[in-house]
Amino acid sequence: MGADSDEEDFVVYGTPIEREEDTSARKRRAIAEAGQLRALPAWKQEVRDEEGRRRFHGAFTGGFSAGFYNSVGSKEGWTPQTFTSSRKNRAELKKQSIYSFLDEEDIKDMGGNALETSQQYDTFGFTAAEYARKQASKEQKERPSAIPGPIPDELVIPTTNSIGVKLLMKMGWRQGRSIKDSHADSLYESRRNARKAFLALSDVKNDKDQDQIDSDKPSLDQSVVGSFDEMRASGSTPVHVLHPKQDLHGLGYDPFKHAPEFRDRKRLQKSRERDHKRNDVSGRGNLLISNSGHYAPGFGIGALEELDVEDEDIYASGFAYEQTEVDIEPSKTSDGNYKLDDRKRGIFLSFKIASNSEYKLERFPSPEIPVDFDGRHKFPTPAQPAEKVSDLAPPEVPPPEDSTLRLLIEGCAAMVARCGKHIEDFYKEKSKTNPQFHFLSGGDGCSYYMRKLWEHQLRYTGQPRPVDLKSKPSSDKLTAENRGRILGERPLDISTKPQNSLSAKEAVQLQSNLIDTFVKPITLDALPESEKPFRNDPAKQARFEQFLKDKYQGGLRTANVAPVSTMSEADRARERLDFEAAAEAIEKGKEKDIKPSSVLPLPGLNDQRFISATQLESSIVPQDERPIYPRREQFEWRPAPILCKRFDIVDPFMGKPMPVQRPRSKIENLIFMTESTMGTKDKEESSSRSSHDASSVAGITEAEAQGTTNDPDVKLSSVQRPVDLYKAIFSDDSDDDTDEIVNHQPVDPVKTSEGANMALNRLAAEDFLESLGKEFGLEVPPERPNVLFRSETLSVAVASVSSQNEKVATTYMEVKENQSSRGMVEVGNANEDAPLANTGKLDLKYEKRERITEENSSRPLHQQNQNHSPDSDSSSERHRSRKRRSHHRTRSRTPESDSSTERRSSRRRKSHSRHRRARSRTPDADSPSDTQHEERKRKEKRRNRAYTPDADSSGHEYKERNKSSSRRSSDKDRSRKHSRHHKHRRKDHAEYS
Amino acid sequence: MSSAAAQHLPRKESRELLGHEGAVLAVRFNRDGNYCLSCGKDRTLRLWNPHTGALVKTYKSHAREVRDVHSSSDNAKLVSCGADRQIFYWDVSTGRVIRKFRGHNSEVNSVKFNEYNAVVVSAGYDRTVRAFDCRSQSSDPIQTIDTFQDSVMSVILTKTEIIAGSVDGTVRTFDIRMGRETVDNLGHPVNCISLSNDSNCLLANCLDSTVRLLDKTTGEMLQEYKGHACKVSLNIILVFFEDVLGVANASFKMDCCLTNDDAYVVGGSENGYIFFWELVDAPVVASFRAHSSVVTSISYHPTKACMLTSSVDGSVRVWN
Repeated sequence: MGADSDEEDFVVYGTPIEREEDTSARKRRAIAEAGQLRALPAWKQEVRDEEGRRRFHGAFTGGFSAGFYNSVGSKEGWTPQTFTSSRKNRAELKKQSIYSFLDEEDIKDMGGNALETSQQYDTFGFTAAEYARKQASKEQKERPSAIPGPIPDELVIPTTNSIGVKLLMKMGWRQGRSIKDSHADSLYESRRNARKAFLALSDVKNDKDQDQIDSDKPSLDQSVVGSFDEMRASGSTPVHVLHPKQDLHGLGYDPFKHAPEFRDRKRLQKSRERDHKRNDVSGRGNLLISNSGHYAPGFGIGALEELDVEDEDIYASGFAYEQTEVDIEPSKTSDGNYKLDDRKRGIFLSFKIASNSEYKLERFPSPEIPVDFDGRHKFPTPAQPAEKVSDLAPPEVPPPEDSTLRLLIEGCAAMVARCGKHIEDFYKEKSKTNPQFHFLSGGDGCSYYMRKLWEHQLRYTGQPRPVDLKSKPSSDKLTAENRGRILGERPLDISTKPQNSLSAKEAVQLQSNLIDTFVKPITLDALPESEKPFRNDPAKQARFEQFLKDKYQGGLRTANVAPVSTMSEADRARERLDFEAAAEAIEKGKEKDIKPSSVLPLPGLNDQRFISATQLESSIVPQDERPIYPRREQFEWRPAPILCKRFDIVDPFMGKPMPVQRPRSKIENLIFMTESTMGTKDKEESSSRSSHDASSVAGITEAEAQGTTNDPDVKLSSVQRPVDLYKAIFSDDSDDDTDEIVNHQPVDPVKTSEGANMALNRLAAEDFLESLGKEFGLEVPPERPNVLFRSETLSVAVASVSSQNEKVATTYMEVKENQSSRGMVEVGNANEDAPLANTGKLDLKYEKRERITEENSSRPLHQQNQNHSPDSDSSSERHRSRKRRSHHRTRSRTPESDSSTERRSSRRRKSHSRHRRARSRTPDADSPSDTQHEERKRKEKRRNRAYTPDADSSGHEYKERNKSSSRRSSDKDRSRKHSRHHKHRRKDHAEYS
Repeated sequence: MSSAAAQHLPRKESRELLGHEGAVLAVRFNRDGNYCLSCGKDRTLRLWNPHTGALVKTYKSHAREVRDVHSSSDNAKLVSCGADRQIFYWDVSTGRVIRKFRGHNSEVNSVKFNEYNAVVVSAGYDRTVRAFDCRSQSSDPIQTIDTFQDSVMSVILTKTEIIAGSVDGTVRTFDIRMGRETVDNLGHPVNCISLSNDSNCLLANCLDSTVRLLDKTTGEMLQEYKGHACKVSLNIILVFFEDVLGVANASFKMDCCLTNDDAYVVGGSENGYIFFWELVDAPVVASFRAHSSVVTSISYHPTKACMLTSSVDGSVRVWN
């Protein structure tokens, strides 16, 4: 209060002095800038007001730039119209006039003259005509006239030509003529010919009737033609005055009304009199025009004349004239004869229509379409490969001594026989530069290939034709090759060597690709007793040896171990990890065998050495013994291409498809190892069983009955493996399928292309060819069971996969039961939960299945994610991140969404957008937000909290996923978490049910 | 020790280059040895003529301490790095910053030009080695190597390789020509690495007060040199905290290098001593107290028997 009163007491006299710098600072600056402004280019200049501010017009009326250089509202610019609502004063719509667009200066310049349109620029002449009419009426008023009232003069309009017409006239155009080029139209020519022909026809009639016209036929002809010309010329413009009245008949009287032929005669006489003066435009007098029955324009009809139907139109002469012509033209060209028959019979009084005219349009019936005509052309495709089998057996040729080539040829032949010729072309084109495929284009082993191809074709079509079926009619295509074969000619040896066409780049690429695909063969057959790492477990040792045999006999990494039924997937995976490490160690030891003094005792070649996965990377410093420093390891490292360029070094990875990431831990290795095992497992078994055709067929159907769920997996495994190989062989530059290459491993670059040959031996060549075909979308027909056993392996693989799934499911249930029992022990009132768990079991199994399918379908994504996972340094890091992800997933579930459908859908989402999910993790989500609805759930929750909620909620999810996919199962630390997850699993049941 | 060559070791202080306020963190000869560059905690770079003692130019733009500097082979450009996470690319004559390379997430410990002055490679506390392109306008790295487990202390470049030593105990050689990463695990945090003049050997100053000589091609350890004191771990972290906490007693990255004829190994000590070891047999040939405090950096003249040392006490000394 006191302060207020103080302020009130304060009295100010006078006006405060404005501070100089405050007010004029801007102004001064504006002045200063004005000088600079002139130096600026025009588009940078800004109009400012006196205060130096940029003028702002409001966001909707131009902002900072309105008008010419923002001149709106300034002295130089125009003032924007103010907005007035038209809601109330709707009627006051402003009419724009020319003056609203002119400023004062312009008006001043006009000198007071009003603007008006000038007739000079009236292109079409309408306003000009109007103007002329006005002018005429004005004059009419001024002029004294004898006859009062409407005067005939008023009816006569003084014509004024527009400027356009004037110009045209100057260019030679005359009224009534069309503007287009006179002889441009060939259609007119044809019509004219038709008319001529028609006239000739009518002449014939005339002759027959002994009419008088025959005497001057030529002149008639000519005149008719002339009149046609006239008509044609006047095609587009109305001509008003055509018939000047030259006779003494009354207006509208036509003496030839019922005898038009006399009119012609008369006219002809007249024209002859005028010395063939053209331009008797009485086109309608002639034979053709008279058809329409429109006569000269007149004012009426004679009193004695009947009003015919044809007389309706007498006043609209010009228009009718046009119409007539339009009417006639088509009838002349196409079916004049018929038309005459129909309509105009009565008009030719003295003529009859010839019963048979020589002039006839020839008409042909439309071709008959066969009933089975399809309209689509069918190419001979693999659907009918039987047609393609040439009946001539190529001569038997000894196989080439190179077994690799032989295998390749056989595989290729089988493939071509199965898929058709186009795949051969495809190979040929793809492998132009590859010396191994020269047999396709007639190089080494061509004849053998031919023979093999023929055999396979025979086998495939299942038509065992006699080999010497030479008496086939020669309607078959007898190509040069066939003929040569019949005659026993040897195809010319193509001496074009591979010609070293592999460029340096391709060579690099080929090598490096091969390097990654093949492993070095090592012979580990006779292991000395000291190098048996699993001595204390003979079964395991046996498995290990089997593993070594499978894995390291060179060639592709197949990595399939005979499945041990008693082992779970996780155990197997862990064991494989052990085996790998042990094998590595043994290999190292072998290398050191050369200098026996330095043989290491291979310190931890026992199970304890290979501790579980989380510590793998950090195993740099094992506790028990001091490692020897410095230790050297080598990895692959991919320098950026630009870095290589800047270092002036050829990129060692040039042309290589994808940046290869060094596996951070062995788990990654393991994961894709199991992946590749999934499909190819049991292959050997299946091959041994291959004689059982029926069972295999049953297997197929069974596998299909299993549902398409397993399909993607199988396809994946069969397609995935050989990609590297065919890349290496075909050395194609297109790297569009880079994500398929998973198997890159750091392998010594010193390996040569011998690996390729080895691999070709190992790999059934057709296998990869087929996959190649699939890869490129070519149609690969299903195999016949008795040809090759490939399909069987496939089906068995399917079956095995499905059985695996079941196995996983069962193990899962076992684990769960264990858990439930343990849960009973741990929790005091677990009795309530037990039945719940039991009911949940079935659901769970079902759920399990479903998840498998989903996992299968989203598998490629998984892989990718795993391999391109961001910079997590170690396996533990990855675990952590995975946990976070899953944790978030748990969070994101709303409390109400505990139905299984919701879960499934969320899972699906997850599989699609894992990356995003990982990013969008909320930082501090603390507890799995479960429902508070039901009591038992609350109970579960309480139990949850006993553990660290973060780790195990995520862990449980994580494990779920692992189990279901049955390929993450290799994670070692997972087993350690088992005990933790029990609770959550049960809670999960609750949710499912 | 009594050999004739040992007599020529630069043990006599010929000049002291004074000007830096606060610790000098690095001193480097240029390529031909006529000039030298120093940088330090006063956030400046200084270009000296060490033979006359003249301060040629001072470069100021860094926001925080400058940890390393390197001059291009044509003496036209400088590159420097420091605790402000940026790498400055300088024009020598005008003293202006041409470009700042960003990308490191924390302090940058070491920086080098490559042979053609087209690439700058830096090593940082963020466990990465990053390569930047000098020829493009971009300030982002063209490659990031993040396989290190710990702070990368030092980086050197050969014509085809990037070699970096890290606190995780490894010296990693990235062979661009082969596309291969070679990891030499020394078992002890590597403070500083340097290359012999014939590029066959690698000298690594480890934090267990040992300088190790490695064969670059095989990775074998050829020799160990001991006697000096270089025990501090996490020194750079302490440098970082010093600014925050005001800790005065922090320690520093310490250089080691070989003499120009590859006959001796030179190393600095925490107590201000300089040690000379004979290369082959590893006895201490000479040692003398060069500074009153930690010797942070040593640079040996490429041709002459001349040496630069820098210290936390703020001085740069020229020895010959």
